[in-house]
Amino acid sequence: MRHVRLLVLREDLPQASLTLADTESFHPDPRAPQEQRLTPLEDCRYQKLYQQARSRLDKIRQVIPVPDADLREIRVVPLEELSETNAWLGEAWESCLQHQERSRKLAEQARLLEEQEAALANFSELHVDLGALRAHKRFLDLFIGVVPRENVDRLQGALGLAGHLLFKYMERGGNAHVVIAGPAGERETELQSLLATAGFTAIPLPQGLDDSPEAIQAEQRAEREHIERARRELEQEVEACAASFRDRLARAETVLTLAEPFVTLDPAIRSAGHLACIAGWVPAEALPRLERRLEQTLPHPFSMESRKPRSDERPLVPSVPVRHRLLAPFAMLVKQYGVPRYGEIDPTFLFTITFLLMFGTMFGDVGHGGVLALLAWLFRRKLGRFYPFGVLAGLSSVVFGFVFGSVFGYKDILPALWMSPLYDPILMLQLALGWGVLFLTLACSLTIYNRFAVGEHIAAVFGHHGLVNLVFYLALVWGGVSLGATGAFGLVPAALVIAALAALAVYNWFHLDSPIGEKILVVLIETLETVIGYISNTLSFLRVAAFSINHVALAIAVLTLAGMMGAVGHVLMVIFGNIFVIVLEGVIVTIQVMRLQYFEGFSRYFSADGREFAPVRLRRPPRPA
Amino acid sequence: MTSAAHNAYLNTRVAAKATQLFSLDDVRRFSLLSLGEIAQEFVLGSILEETGSARAKGRAVEQALIQVLLEELAQLVRPMNHEERGLVLAWARKFALFNLKTLLRGKIRQLDPQEIRENLYDLPPQVRLSNEDLFRVESAVELLRCLEGGPLTLLARQAREIYEKRQESFALEAAIDQRYYAELARRVARLGDGKAARQMRVLIGSLVDHANVLWLLRFRFAYRLSPSETFYQLVPSPHLLYRQRLLDLVSLDDEVKVIAALPGSLREVLTGSGNLMEIQRRLGMHGSEIARDVLRHGECGLARALAYLMLRETDQRVVFTVVQSQLLNLPAYYVELALGLQPSICVHQWQEAA
Repeated sequence: MRHVRLLVLREDLPQASLTLADTESFHPDPRAPQEQRLTPLEDCRYQKLYQQARSRLDKIRQVIPVPDADLREIRVVPLEELSETNAWLGEAWESCLQHQERSRKLAEQARLLEEQEAALANFSELHVDLGALRAHKRFLDLFIGVVPRENVDRLQGALGLAGHLLFKYMERGGNAHVVIAGPAGERETELQSLLATAGFTAIPLPQGLDDSPEAIQAEQRAEREHIERARRELEQEVEACAASFRDRLARAETVLTLAEPFVTLDPAIRSAGHLACIAGWVPAEALPRLERRLEQTLPHPFSMESRKPRSDERPLVPSVPVRHRLLAPFAMLVKQYGVPRYGEIDPTFLFTITFLLMFGTMFGDVGHGGVLALLAWLFRRKLGRFYPFGVLAGLSSVVFGFVFGSVFGYKDILPALWMSPLYDPILMLQLALGWGVLFLTLACSLTIYNRFAVGEHIAAVFGHHGLVNLVFYLALVWGGVSLGATGAFGLVPAALVIAALAALAVYNWFHLDSPIGEKILVVLIETLETVIGYISNTLSFLRVAAFSINHVALAIAVLTLAGMMGAVGHVLMVIFGNIFVIVLEGVIVTIQVMRLQYFEGFSRYFSADGREFAPVRLRRPPRPA
Repeated sequence: MTSAAHNAYLNTRVAAKATQLFSLDDVRRFSLLSLGEIAQEFVLGSILEETGSARAKGRAVEQALIQVLLEELAQLVRPMNHEERGLVLAWARKFALFNLKTLLRGKIRQLDPQEIRENLYDLPPQVRLSNEDLFRVESAVELLRCLEGGPLTLLARQAREIYEKRQESFALEAAIDQRYYAELARRVARLGDGKAARQMRVLIGSLVDHANVLWLLRFRFAYRLSPSETFYQLVPSPHLLYRQRLLDLVSLDDEVKVIAALPGSLREVLTGSGNLMEIQRRLGMHGSEIARDVLRHGECGLARALAYLMLRETDQRVVFTVVQSQLLNLPAYYVELALGLQPSICVHQWQEAA
C-alpha cells in the first residue's frame, strides 16, 4: 500500500474524482495536510445538491422502480446539470408523495369503515335506536367515534371538566369505541380542540338507519367497493407515473452515480488558489495503471507523489480484503470479528481451512454433508454470496463421512477409510488435543509474525501470546507428554517453563506503572492466568472429538428408535431423525467451531482493529448471480 | 447474579462515580473561572482551542458533555436486567426527543438541512431515533409520516393530525413531552411494589410532578387553555400529582391558589416564587435534592443509578452554562442567574414570562 498525493488544477477535480472512482484503487485519506495553506473546499454547493438529490431519489425508489444508471459513457457532471436534476427530482418526489398520501387516506377510509361496521354490529345487539343517536339534538351534544385506547382515561377526565361524559362500549385493536355526551353549544370550541388533540375520529352513522340490516350491509359493501376501485385507480396512476418518469429517473440515477465520486472524495480534498490536492491510499501494484488513466483523462498537467506508509501511520493504512469468490463467505465471518491491520496476515485463508477441517470432523457423514451441500446449492440465489459456505461445509462433512464410513448414520453401507470416532474415543480425544496444540502454536506464531511485521518487536517477544509465551506453552506440552509417557515432567521442560514465566513476570513488572502492591498483585495474577489460560485453551479443543463422537451417538439413537418401529415408522423415524440431527447438530457444530476460531484463534493473533480498503468507486448495478 | 450481588455491584459503581458530583461550592467556584481555567478543569481544551464561532464551540462542548453522560449511562445499564435497562434508557431517550423537536422546528421553519443537522446531538444507538429516513424528509408532515412507520406511530399520527389542523409546533412538542413522561410513569408502574419500586416512584414521580406543575401553570395561565384542555396535556404521576389531584388543580382559577393547593413539599418549595423562571429554578433544586437523597440513602441499585445520572446531567448542564457564558462574555450576574445561584427575578409579567 502506498500513500498518494495527487496535485491537480481545481477545475480538473471532478474529472480526477471520476478517474479515481473508475480505477477503483483509491482509498481517500481525510487527514489535514502539513501545508497550512491547503484548506478544505469552501464551495459546498455541489455536495449539498448531491446529498439532497440522492435522498430524493432514494425516497422515490420506495414508491416506484428506478432504473439502473447507464455508465457506458463516463463523464463529468457539471453543477448546473446536478442542480437541474435535483430540482426535477424534487418535483417527482412531490408527485410520489401525493400518491403516498392518497394511498394512506384510502387506507384510513377502509379502517374507518371497518370501525363503523364493528360499531353497528355492536349496537345491533344492544337494540338501541340509532336513528335517535344520529338526529341533531337541541340541548345535547352527542359524539360517536373511536379514540386511541391509551388516550381514553385522560380524555374522560378532561371531558368531565368540560361537563361531558364519555362511555367506552367496545375495544378493538388499539382503539376504543366511545360515546360522548354533554350539554350542547356551551363549549363547542373547547370540545373540538380537546377531541382533536386526543385523536378522536367520529364514526359517521349511515343514513336510513331504520332500513333492514341487509340494506345497511349493501351500503357498506358499496362503500368498500368504492374504496377498492379508488385503490386500483391509484395503482394504475402510480404505474403510469412510473412509466412517464422512467427515462428521466434513469438519467437522474446516471447523473448522481457520476457525481458521487467527487462528493465521496470531498473530505480528502484540500485546495489553495487554483491548485487542489487529493490524498489517499493506493495498492502498490495499482499505481502505474492509475497514473496512466490520469494521463489519459486529465486535460491539464498534474503531479502524483507516492511513498511508503510511515510507522506512525500504520493504524490508518487500509488492508485489502480477500476477494476470492469461494472465500467470500469466510471473509464475511472474519469481518464480523474485525479487519486485519495493514501488514498483518489476513486470517481468511487459514480460517477457511481450519473451519472446514473442524466442521468436517465434528459433522462427518456422507449423507448429512451431501444434504447440506445440496441445500446450499439449491438455495444459492437466496443465500447470495454466502452459498459457498454451505457447499464447502457440506463437502467437508462428506469427505470426513468417507473417512468415518458413515451415511445418514448407517455404518454398513460404506467401508470406513479409517474408523468411526466411537470405536476409539480415547484416540479421538488425543487427536483433538494434538490438534489444539497445533492450532494454538500456529496462532501464537502468527501473533509473533504480525507483531514483527508492524514493528512491535518487544511485544512480539514478551507480549501476550508472544515468543516467550510460545516457549512456555511448548515446554508445558513437552512436559505434559513426558509426564503421561514416563511419569516425570522432565528437567529441561520444567526449566524452560520456569524461565519463560520468570521472563514474563519481569517484563510485566517493569512494564507496569503502578504502586508496588498493585504491581505484585498484577504480576502474580497475570502469570497465573498465563498458565491456566493455555491449559484451558488446549482443553477447549476436546470439543472437536466430543462432537464427532456425539454425532455418531445421535445417529445410533435415531437408528435404534427406528429399529423399534414397524416398516413405515422405521422409514419416517430415519427421515425425521436425520433431519433433526442435521438441523440441531449443524447449528451447534457451526457455533462451536466459530467459538474455537474466535476465542482460541482470533483473540490470540488477530488485532481486528484495521481499516478495510474501501476505494472510491462508481455505484454500478449489481451483476446477476 | 443474585439480586443482592447485582445491587452490590451497581451500588459500588454508582458510589465510585458519585464522588465526582459537584457541590454548591463547586458551582460557585466554576462561575468565577476564566475560559482557559474551565478548559483545564473539565478537559475541554482541544474543543475550545479549535477555530470556529462561539456557537460552534458551544455546540461541540455540549455534544462532548452529553457524550460523557451517555457513556456513563452505558456502563451503568450493562449489569441491569431488561426491565431496569428499559427504564433508564426511556429516561435517556429525552435526548432523542430533543433531536426530534429540533428536526420538527427546522422543518416547520424550512431551515437548511445542514443547519438542522448541525443542531442535532450525535447519540448512541440505544437512545437515538432509529429511523435514518427522518433526516431525509423535506417537510414537517413528511417527517411525521415517516415517524408513523416506527415505534412512535400513535404519537406521530396524532401529532400529524394536530399539525395539519393547526400548523404550529406547540401542540406537537407538548404531545412529544407528554408522551415521554407518560412512558416513564408507565414503566415505573410496571415495577411492582417492592422497595426498589417505591424509590423509583419517588424519583420518577418527582420528575413527572415537576413537569406537571410547570405545564399546568403555563397552559392554564399563560396560554389561557381551559381546565379540560390543560388536564389533557398533563400526566398523572406515580408520586404526588395523581389523577384526581390534577383534576382539582386545573379547576382553580389563579396561580397563587394552584401553588397553595399543591401537596406538602411542593407547596413549601414554591410558595412565594413569584414567576415561572423562579418556579423552574426551585423545582430544579428540589429535583436535585430528591435525587441526592435517593443516592445517599437509597438501597436499590437501579434508583441510585438513575439518581446519579440525573445529578450528573445537572452537573453537565452547569459546565455547559459556565462555558457558554464565557463564550458569550455574559456579566457575572447573569451567569449566577443561569446557574441558579440567584433567585430568578423576572422583569416581565407572568404571562409574558411563560
